[in-house]
Amino acid sequence: MSSVTLSTVLRRRSDVRYRLIEGEAVVLRQSASEVLVLNEVGASVLDLADGERSVGEWIEALRGELEVDAETLARDVLTFAGELEEAGMLEVVAP
Amino acid sequence: MSFAAGFLRFPDLFPGRRGGEPWGDRSVVLDVAGGPYLFSGLSGVQDEAIRAKFAGLCREADAGPAITSRVFRAPATDFLDFDVRGWEYTLDMDHSPAGVLLAGLRLMARLDWTPELTGGLWTSEAAGEEWTSVFENYLRVLAAYRLLAAGGAVIHSAGLTDGVSAFLLLGPSGAGKTTSSRLCLERGATVLSDDLNAVLLPRESPHLPGPPLPEGEEGEKQRGGAISPPLPLGEEGSGEVRASEPGPLLIRLPFTGDLGERSGGPASYPLAAMLRLVKGTEDRLRPISPATALAGLVAAAPFVNRDPWRRDALLGTLERLARSVPAYELVFSLGGGLWDILQSIPR
Repeated sequence: MSSVTLSTVLRRRSDVRYRLIEGEAVVLRQSASEVLVLNEVGASVLDLADGERSVGEWIEALRGELEVDAETLARDVLTFAGELEEAGMLEVVAP
Repeated sequence: MSFAAGFLRFPDLFPGRRGGEPWGDRSVVLDVAGGPYLFSGLSGVQDEAIRAKFAGLCREADAGPAITSRVFRAPATDFLDFDVRGWEYTLDMDHSPAGVLLAGLRLMARLDWTPELTGGLWTSEAAGEEWTSVFENYLRVLAAYRLLAAGGAVIHSAGLTDGVSAFLLLGPSGAGKTTSSRLCLERGATVLSDDLNAVLLPRESPHLPGPPLPEGEEGEKQRGGAISPPLPLGEEGSGEVRASEPGPLLIRLPFTGDLGERSGGPASYPLAAMLRLVKGTEDRLRPISPATALAGLVAAAPFVNRDPWRRDALLGTLERLARSVPAYELVFSLGGGLWDILQSIPR
């Protein structure tokens, strides 16, 4: 179970490389030797994970970009941030 | 396990530079994608074995530019002994900003950028299939790195052509590359290789907004979750050159599995489409996104996709390829309609 909250600050792990193409992200994790494809929300979350902004700030940044209501957006971003953290693509800088 | 410990008796004595005792004074040039490649330091027997195995690709060395490799003797006692019956192994690699070290069955090798790419190969194999196997294992890696530097890639794939343009069939081991190649061969296709093929991009590739949609087909639906299933990274392993054609080229490599021409001359064709293979009970085609295509390409780019120092270059090259060539998921059955579907793809 992920412990990611609105105040959590996350960053991409150092072995993660990615490319954004037409709203999706292709992620290469060297240590796990695998390639992943993220959808639009997943790609946005990965791109925002700079180790400086909190998850709550990501949601604010995405509010005008994605065509979903605020409640759905917050739920999706929290869920995806947790998935990416559990998948080893993001690491917690501050809880 | 530390680098090379699985193959070498004394991993700490791995050659620190390209030097040693050559096998002989013979040399040969191979015209393989990304080349030409010049090999020197060969014995007469080794030289002849290469020329026999790669007949249409070999020529005498001349003063022209080439990627140079030197071949050196190594005592058999440097290598661990194995019972290799039925064994397929993976080369051990050690990456650094300036080069790559390789260790495998009876081989040690290094690739160095000084700044041009140069190579050194040490082996105890003097002749026979053991020698050509060592040589081919080294050449595969050399070509993969050279093509990356040249703006291309080696792709674990099946390459098919109708003589005008080519199709790249992608999928992990067991996805059906050889089976689908055989089905197309029976319908008149030429199989370039069912194992490894080269792609080479022009300096500026035309951008296509998305794959053209065959009549009656629907595009890819939005996926549900944030993360699609991960793809494992691959383990491994002119007659007519149309270099003036725009767009990426598919180039034949002499590395085949069950199908393809190992000893034929170089040949390249404009790449018409990339197809992710799925076995099924019918034959159908549906477009996939450039991102999905890119994920498949990265997973299928042997050797360099595990190199942390060159993964950005690989991602950049394959992103250009994924953006410039239509990509589809190809569900195929054993019914034989596969080749007709491929030829219906708009070009």
